[in-house]
Amino acid sequence: MFHPFLDKIKARPIPYFFTKLFIFLLLVFAIDFGVGQLLSYFYFKQKSGVEYRTTYSINKTKEDILIFGSSRANHHYHPEIFESRLHMSYYNAGRDGTSIIYHYALLKGVLKRYSPKIIILDIVNKEFQKNKDSYEKISPLLPYYNSHPEIRSIVQLRSRYEKYKLFSKIYPFNSAIFKIAMGNAGSSKKGSSDVQGYIPFYKVWDQPITKYISTVTYETDNKKIECYEQFIKDCNKAGVKLFVFVSPYYGISGHVDYSFLIADSIAKKHGIPFFDYSNTELFMSQRSYFADIRHLNDEGAKVYSNIVIDSILKTQ
Amino acid sequence: MLFNSIEFVFFFILVTCMYFLLPHRYRWMLLLAASCYFYMAFVPIYILILGFTIIIDYIAGILIENAAGKKRKQYLIMSLVANIGVLAVFKYYNFINENLTPLLQSVSIKNPAPFLKILLPIGLSFHTFQAMSYTIEVYRGNQQAERHFGIYALYVMFYPQLVAGPIERPQNLLPQFRQKFNFNYDRVVQGLQLMLWGIFKKLVIADRLAIYVNAVFNNAERHNGTTLLVAAIFFTIQIYCDFSGYSDIAIGAAKVMGFKLMTNFNRPFFSKSIAEFWKRWHISLSTWFKDYVYLSVGGNRVAVPRWYFNLFIVFLLSGLWHGANFTFIIWGAINAFYLIFAIATKKFSSKIEKFTGLSKVPKLNTALQILLTFSLTCFAFIFFRANNVQAAFLIIKKIIFQHGPLFFENASMLLFSLMGIFFLFLAELKKEYFDDKFSLFHHEKWLVRNLSYAMLIIIILVAGVFDGGEFIYFQF
Repeated sequence: MFHPFLDKIKARPIPYFFTKLFIFLLLVFAIDFGVGQLLSYFYFKQKSGVEYRTTYSINKTKEDILIFGSSRANHHYHPEIFESRLHMSYYNAGRDGTSIIYHYALLKGVLKRYSPKIIILDIVNKEFQKNKDSYEKISPLLPYYNSHPEIRSIVQLRSRYEKYKLFSKIYPFNSAIFKIAMGNAGSSKKGSSDVQGYIPFYKVWDQPITKYISTVTYETDNKKIECYEQFIKDCNKAGVKLFVFVSPYYGISGHVDYSFLIADSIAKKHGIPFFDYSNTELFMSQRSYFADIRHLNDEGAKVYSNIVIDSILKTQ
Repeated sequence: MLFNSIEFVFFFILVTCMYFLLPHRYRWMLLLAASCYFYMAFVPIYILILGFTIIIDYIAGILIENAAGKKRKQYLIMSLVANIGVLAVFKYYNFINENLTPLLQSVSIKNPAPFLKILLPIGLSFHTFQAMSYTIEVYRGNQQAERHFGIYALYVMFYPQLVAGPIERPQNLLPQFRQKFNFNYDRVVQGLQLMLWGIFKKLVIADRLAIYVNAVFNNAERHNGTTLLVAAIFFTIQIYCDFSGYSDIAIGAAKVMGFKLMTNFNRPFFSKSIAEFWKRWHISLSTWFKDYVYLSVGGNRVAVPRWYFNLFIVFLLSGLWHGANFTFIIWGAINAFYLIFAIATKKFSSKIEKFTGLSKVPKLNTALQILLTFSLTCFAFIFFRANNVQAAFLIIKKIIFQHGPLFFENASMLLFSLMGIFFLFLAELKKEYFDDKFSLFHHEKWLVRNLSYAMLIIIILVAGVFDGGEFIYFQF
């Protein structure tokens, strides 16, 4: 179709170049669209794995209790304990390596659909530290950019060019192809590694307690602090009972983390209960409760979950 | 401004379009202004350092050409001292000071020199060496002093190769700024193709491997030898893809506008010896040291011990050029040792080849030589990447004595890394041994050719790391 036209303009290199470039870009966009659609189809078809849990958290949750946070949220709040003691349904939306920016986007997705009765937000040390990595780690939200306008402003925090990058249909699934394949392969299996989003650790930490080095103050990221405060405000507005927790560490820092002080004061300002169990005696003396210095194992999670519920019930 | 950023895409399109739209006599101004903007996008104030060396070397060039006898040498020394002085202050001062303190303390003297709180200007070693190359060539009579200040400034600042080379010679680059390049379809397409391949190497391979390499090397004490060995191999491939990727983008960007920059890498992992490796790796720096240091101190036209000494000094300087750290110096020394050892045992190696019968099986012999060279390179690069000398020795100790299961955070990350390495290996193997054979990227049919390049873009979108950092060699 193009050949006679191309032959005609071949003698004029600039129009010839731009015509060919245009055709080439069309080809790229066509393949990008096709492959992007295919990836999208398989992405949302997953029935297990980390991507599936994010999709479930944003699109499908209807449980009474939701847990938000990073890996420590994901491994520390035991579903059986919560369901049996509070008689409410439970889902754990915690995801490894994520920060408050991700949790807030997830919350927006949830509150658009319904208001859970209880939300537990687990925060970690240096939660509000300025760190470029935190913005990179909101990439799991990219597949939801088009279908969830409420999270767009948060996704755009990644970079000022993010919305242009998202013209590509493949880009939201960048680096996810093997995970998508595994998530789909896992869909044929009966069960998955998580129990209502909670992933238990069964190993036991075998090293002595360490004094970890943590700076007393550090540069904080105002956007992260804003996300945290907005998280609280949105929960209050939606009538959700929010509880902010810091779960145990197997280590001694010698001081209260700066982010915990900030989180505590903001929580207090909005009348939200804040519980810091980062340096609790019971856990410091029990290595068998930990899988590593930052994570409780299943046994530790059961003990800690009971403490969390006691704390919640005391506020009633 | 990073080559792997969206800002650069806009910058490149704008500058290139304006370049072809402008009459030839104004193009140098555009390129100079664009280069200033490009450099100032990092740390604006450091353009003053660049300006200082440009003025010094511009004047020195003219003075050297106009002078005679001893005066010429004096002007050259003045220029070299100024350039090396800038390097010494910004790159080596704190390093020297830091190591001087314990030495002085051992003889009960307090070091009076303060530590400077300064950032190393981006690409300082690159443009300083390029500037020195100019005055040396003028001194040697191989290059006429450039009278046009703007053109000379552009020679030092030409944005594609400003921050990480290739380190150009004035004879190659300066005349090109006076040449009028019209829009040439084939050249533009070839330049863009080279840029795309460079981006692929950087985003799909280098930045992907960097995730694993950084996780392991930054916590070397927590990992076993197997993991550290894999990380050392990954780093060797990472640094190649990172740096040669940058060179490809630089050469490609210049080519689009008509400029021909020198080749900087020539598939070094297919080298059969360390000597060959250094003819294929960072060619612009290797030849710089050869032309201006190695041959100046006699090269190999001296007694054998002196020859070895010359090699040793050159590689030590090469190590020091990379950074003010003992890890780089040891890296240089190891490479020097490899070379000297190979020269000293050349006859013995031939005898071994004959004795084992390897010389009768040339393909196997070649494969073994390539494997050995690659292994030696990986070993030396442990020092290049390790956070300090102690960490490097710990890594080596663990690689030899402490094996265990391979660490990986998730299978996906490892699969992407292996996929990238496999793709690179295939591409380089084809180019090295089957260049004239079937090629998808140079296929006679337009559709096949373009589909291949489109697929390269698709692979970048699927497997590229878009949050990766800057190029490793920027820090030098």
